[in-house]
Amino acid sequence: MSAADRVNLEQSIVLLIDDNPQALDMLSSVFQGFGVKEQIKCASATAAVRIIQNRAVDLIVIDCSDPEMDSYAFARWLRRETPAPLRFIPIMLLTGHASQAKVQEGRDCGVSFVVTKPLTPAVLLRRILWLAGDEREFVESENYVGPDRRVRNFGPPLNMPGRRQGDLSTHVGAAVEANMDQSDIDMLLKPQRVAL
Amino acid sequence: MTEARTLKIKTSLARQMAQPGGRTLADVERRANERLERHRDDVMVTVAGTITELELVVAAAAPGSEPQVYRLASALLATAGFFDTGPLYDAGYSLCDVADRMQSSGAWSWPNVAVHVQAMRMILTGGCQADATSDALLAGLRSVAAKART
Repeated sequence: MSAADRVNLEQSIVLLIDDNPQALDMLSSVFQGFGVKEQIKCASATAAVRIIQNRAVDLIVIDCSDPEMDSYAFARWLRRETPAPLRFIPIMLLTGHASQAKVQEGRDCGVSFVVTKPLTPAVLLRRILWLAGDEREFVESENYVGPDRRVRNFGPPLNMPGRRQGDLSTHVGAAVEANMDQSDIDMLLKPQRVAL
Repeated sequence: MTEARTLKIKTSLARQMAQPGGRTLADVERRANERLERHRDDVMVTVAGTITELELVVAAAAPGSEPQVYRLASALLATAGFFDTGPLYDAGYSLCDVADRMQSSGAWSWPNVAVHVQAMRMILTGGCQADATSDALLAGLRSVAAKART
């Protein structure tokens, strides 16, 4: 069985924040099933602010609509107001319905992922695995702090403003498979007898 | 304007998950599903209670109670969203969408809310099954939502 078929959360501490007690219990059950080392349950983002300054946490999962501090405000606080490495902690924001006013906030608050309900353990697990292999750079700018919002480094089209030095050419695209072995290439070029 | 700074980072989560050991994906998923399933009955009771609350709010149609509609529909999605409640979730989502748009535009319509809540009750009574009835109900809700967007 390959390493890709396994998931290891035995050393990971997860902070679960949900202002709906029943949803918090369900999240907790799911992460118990995932086999995390420890989960810290929190009924509000403001309580989480206090916890996170005193406890080591490896992943944050939040679904909080408390007007005092909702999921988006919490993410902004963590990314902008805390020192490294706290500010780098991956944040998964769960949401049922995002109001019109919140859609842009979801993009700009600095979360690693927005996961929309309905969700299943399988979906959550896939997102966690994706986070484990996430190679996006962390961006710190005046208007945004968080993981690069570009998942693929294509950037805007050539000759358009906003392109970065490291952006890939849209003409070629990114490699999607590993390079072929020379022996495989040789086999492709080798004359073969064909039965007609 | 200050220049954006980019950093290459490796999170503690990524380091921990790269360690050998752990469980198979299938095992982890099965364990999580089993634990989640234990909540299903309680959640369906809560969902039914939330629909009853919505019915009461609609029946009263009291001025100033409009934000309660979004709050209740949103609470329904928060719990129902952990299970496959199919058309019930879709109807709840549509109610959130419609309530959000009506509130931000200032053009509130209680009948728009009432038709959603009635549909949700019918879908729940039918066991949240996706069938011809729920398809017809959702098609009606989509028309209401489209009207609320204009």
